[in-house]
Amino acid sequence: MATLEPDFAAQLLAFLDAKQTERIDMPVLQPADPFLDMAGESLRGRIFLTESETGDSLCLRPEFTIPVCRDHVASGVSVPRRYAYLGEVFRQRRAGGSEFFQAGIEDIGDTDNAAADARSLADALDLVTTIAPAAEWRVTVGDQAIFEAVVSALGLPRGWRRKLARAFGTEGQIESLIAALGRPRAAPRDLPKPVADALEDGDAGGLLDAVAGCMEELGFTAASGRSAGEIATRLIEQTILDRARLSPDEVAVLRDFLGIRVPLAEAERALRAFAGRLVDGDGETMGDVIAAFAERVARLAERGVALDRFIYDAAFGRPLDYYTGLVFEIAPRVITGKVEAGIPSAIADSPRNAGVAPVVGGGRYDRLLTLLGAESPIPGVGFSVWIDRLDEARITRQGARQEGAS
Amino acid sequence: MTVILGLPSKGRLREKALERFARAGFPLIEPEDARLYRAHVEGEPDIEVRFLSAGEIARELAAGFIDLGVTGEDLVRENIPDWANRVKVEARLGFGHADVVVAIPEVWYDVRTMADLEDVAADFRTRHGRRLRIATKYWRLTQEFFSRTHAIQVYRIVESMGATEGAPASGQADIIVDITSTGSTLTANHLRVLSDGIILKSEACLVGSIREREAGDAALLARITEAF
Repeated sequence: MATLEPDFAAQLLAFLDAKQTERIDMPVLQPADPFLDMAGESLRGRIFLTESETGDSLCLRPEFTIPVCRDHVASGVSVPRRYAYLGEVFRQRRAGGSEFFQAGIEDIGDTDNAAADARSLADALDLVTTIAPAAEWRVTVGDQAIFEAVVSALGLPRGWRRKLARAFGTEGQIESLIAALGRPRAAPRDLPKPVADALEDGDAGGLLDAVAGCMEELGFTAASGRSAGEIATRLIEQTILDRARLSPDEVAVLRDFLGIRVPLAEAERALRAFAGRLVDGDGETMGDVIAAFAERVARLAERGVALDRFIYDAAFGRPLDYYTGLVFEIAPRVITGKVEAGIPSAIADSPRNAGVAPVVGGGRYDRLLTLLGAESPIPGVGFSVWIDRLDEARITRQGARQEGAS
Repeated sequence: MTVILGLPSKGRLREKALERFARAGFPLIEPEDARLYRAHVEGEPDIEVRFLSAGEIARELAAGFIDLGVTGEDLVRENIPDWANRVKVEARLGFGHADVVVAIPEVWYDVRTMADLEDVAADFRTRHGRRLRIATKYWRLTQEFFSRTHAIQVYRIVESMGATEGAPASGQADIIVDITSTGSTLTANHLRVLSDGIILKSEACLVGSIREREAGDAALLARITEAF
């Protein structure tokens, strides 16, 4: 029987140790709730669930980041830690088996964001290059904070900003929101008279009383559910949201932003040029996030990393609420075994555009540790490597080399 | 050489199914003892009829233990993984109409559409320290509709095997996904269906199990389904 563990496991572990990390192992059986709470119900169909004798929901660990973060929170350590892991995870995938190995580094507690981001990017690229030196690696970088700054610069109310931020990274979703923002919306509502009247009068106190009255009358007093205050506040917010619309020019600006896809070395200039197009005064919010972005790139360059392998894709994000800034993916430029002819254009052959499965996925998750119960915010950034895909890239490229030589 | 037909074992569904089979030219000879769960079709010695619950019919079709059956489309889509490759809806029968819907407390005046619900779900954890809870027996349909159609990721499903409509008032869940034909139970429990919250318009269907068969069985099955 073929072993699932990669034959380069020893090399990989030596690599992780050399990166000043602390090796960590996690139980295969994990409580299921943290995964479902963080990643959402859609994960349920893909993980392997079971139950303890006492009825607690357990699952085979589907990934390492959440268990590692939970462990960090539980241990109560206050100094930065760099955790490394190599182990099996269990998840049903569209392609490939349901048990596979992942390795990664989670950098938790370092408050120098730019430095920690750069280190994570550099470590991830170094890892795949060390194991599969023959493959031509491409890193796609996105940034949630930049997108949020753009949306905020457009002067949209908070509700719309949050809606867009949540949809960031899901192409169809963001497109339909932008389309909705570009057209007027009628808001027909069928409200009980006292509620409608108070809303019409802009009487916040009266609205709260009216909603509370209806709730009591209909028997919705569940202590843990939505309160009258929450419903009343959102009713008012909604009238503001209903009125907020983007002009055709502003819609075009937003679409242009999402279309930015440049080599990382040129990203700062492209972003500054874009910020210049925004109406007066809005450049400032953009200025701060662009500076943070540039700082990260500078730190990466200081590490001696070849920037020509990095692409900045303004539309790249992850629709999970704990990602806060940097996101990245690494994939080989060639996966078919055929060597592509011609001069590589860093943009045209971005693996993300070609729909190539990433070998590495990473990003900054500053909200995750708080969601998992940390009392004060703890920053975190990290990446995971799909070992089977890495192995495939290694073998394919070696094969391609040999064929080319013969 | 036998074709096995699964029909609903009780209630209006049974009555209507028998009526439709008779009209299609396959009148059933019901067992003399009404407690027996088997029957035959007049003049068709090769058709064996079994009376089962609608849920069991969906399951047995998926497993290939029965060839043809009458069951609800909601049960087919909910209970049979990869249903489109395992069974085929041969005919929609025009009875047993019911919708699988997303219903929220009537007092959530600020929530009209799934997009509103997405806002509420996204904020829920920050406000209440837990995810929005949905009571339902339709796990699969709920997940597809929320996660795939509406990109709502952050919610939790609370399994509910009965009296789902009562869950929001009793605090077991915040909203429900359930089946309704007239909507009167929802209204009685002060629940309201979202304007774009209809997940499935279901009705009773004649459903065939997809698998290899000998020519005679296949021909007989074709003759039955064509009659509908």
